[in-house]
Amino acid sequence: MPLPYTVRLAVQSLFKEPWVNLLSILTIGVGLFIISLAFLIVYNFDMATRKLPDKFSLNVYLDHNLSQERVRNIVGAFREKDAVYSVRHIPKQDALEELKNMLKDSPFVFEGLDDNPLPDSLEIKLKEKALGLETVRALANEALNIQGVNEVDYGEKFLSTIHNLKRGLHSFGAILIVILSAGIIFVCYSTVKILFYRKMDEIETYKLLGATKGFIRSPFLIEGFLIGATGGILSLLGVNAFYYLSVLKLSLSIPLFSSIIFPAQFFLWLPVIGMFLGISGAGVALGRMKY
Amino acid sequence: MIQFEDVTKDYDNQTALRNINFFIDKGEMVFFTGPSGSGKTTLLRLIYMAEKPDRGRISIAGWEADSVKESSIPFLRRHIGIVFQDFRLLTHRTIFDNVAIALRIRGMREREIKPKVYDALKTVYLRHKSDSYPLKLSGGEQQRVVIARAIVADPTVILADEPTGNLDPDTAYGIMKAFKTINAKGTTVVIATHNRELFRDTVRRVLHLDTGNLVSEDLG
Repeated sequence: MPLPYTVRLAVQSLFKEPWVNLLSILTIGVGLFIISLAFLIVYNFDMATRKLPDKFSLNVYLDHNLSQERVRNIVGAFREKDAVYSVRHIPKQDALEELKNMLKDSPFVFEGLDDNPLPDSLEIKLKEKALGLETVRALANEALNIQGVNEVDYGEKFLSTIHNLKRGLHSFGAILIVILSAGIIFVCYSTVKILFYRKMDEIETYKLLGATKGFIRSPFLIEGFLIGATGGILSLLGVNAFYYLSVLKLSLSIPLFSSIIFPAQFFLWLPVIGMFLGISGAGVALGRMKY
Repeated sequence: MIQFEDVTKDYDNQTALRNINFFIDKGEMVFFTGPSGSGKTTLLRLIYMAEKPDRGRISIAGWEADSVKESSIPFLRRHIGIVFQDFRLLTHRTIFDNVAIALRIRGMREREIKPKVYDALKTVYLRHKSDSYPLKLSGGEQQRVVIARAIVADPTVILADEPTGNLDPDTAYGIMKAFKTINAKGTTVVIATHNRELFRDTVRRVLHLDTGNLVSEDLG
């Protein structure tokens, strides 16, 4: 089946103006490649912070000489909280054993120690959604108000650093995506505008022969679509090449790189994103031109 | 079919046409004549609505110039086949494509386009040149391609602006013969020319323009 005439016009135009189109495709490809890298960084950071609930815990130290019933009540109170995933009671005897175990090479530390100076404590693991700095801080304050709780420790600085880094990376990623997407749209806009002006005589002839605006615009929209999609495919190849040729090779010598996750299913959207940006640029260009 | 009532058209305070009145009936063949700058091209541009009149009323096959929407003008033009003075051929496309474009913009299917284009090219004796490019053709041949493009979609009106331009008398005669054949099939033909030889031997209506005024009307 022959291609519709407007599609043929668009394809012919791609080859008739190879340098303008190639430059646009490369620019779009590079733009989407940079967006992909930014996404890869943000995605991996997010994935890493998802493992945070396993590593992070809120340590609650209880007063000395609390009754077993009071300790059970405190444990129950924490288990009822939405943000809490699990509560582990560490009796002071276990805590001392653990400490002795850790310092087994320095037994002199425990010389002359008759009573166990350590208190009972609770190790509280939080749900992933509750790992925000504000939530943890509020939970710690609530804990301090519970009778029998002496001290709460949760590595505020660590959590705050992770939180700020995550927020910063998200903002950086969003700004980069917006700026580069606008840049890509502008490239498509300029390309279509140049091609349109070069074909002004031809377009005038079409108009005089009875062509509708739709007939005149379609090849340019299709061209924007093709340029964007090709740029998207190029960036897809680029990001795959980057991962398989660089990251995987580096991971052989630097183990840190082996923990990088490559979300291939997300990158398959690159040609579609390219198409969308290409059509948008062409649409803006055609909308702004008088003909 | 085509009606002008007190039509005036100005360009930058200069009057191109002044109080023009005429009526062309369906199936007629009419000549507009006059020296360069007399307003012939402007008159044709008003007919295919590339221009709007400053005053007066224009009606083309039921379409009123003062009320027609911008988006409807392409559909009016599909009733009109235009032979442009400057040809307006697409130099990087073949003769076939140049003629076919008139059908493609109408959304006709490729398998229907082919026989119609070859028929139109046969009418102007250029069937054998369908794969050539316009710049490889002589002036007369290019002119005939433009005529083929104008007739291929079976329009109700043909407008021809100086269709014989700088052609030699034999070629001009051949082109006039083509117009007469088209007109004989019932198509209205309007020709703007400064060349009196074209209508000397025909019994057709001739309207004389001079500095934007319709000065007389007679039979050629």
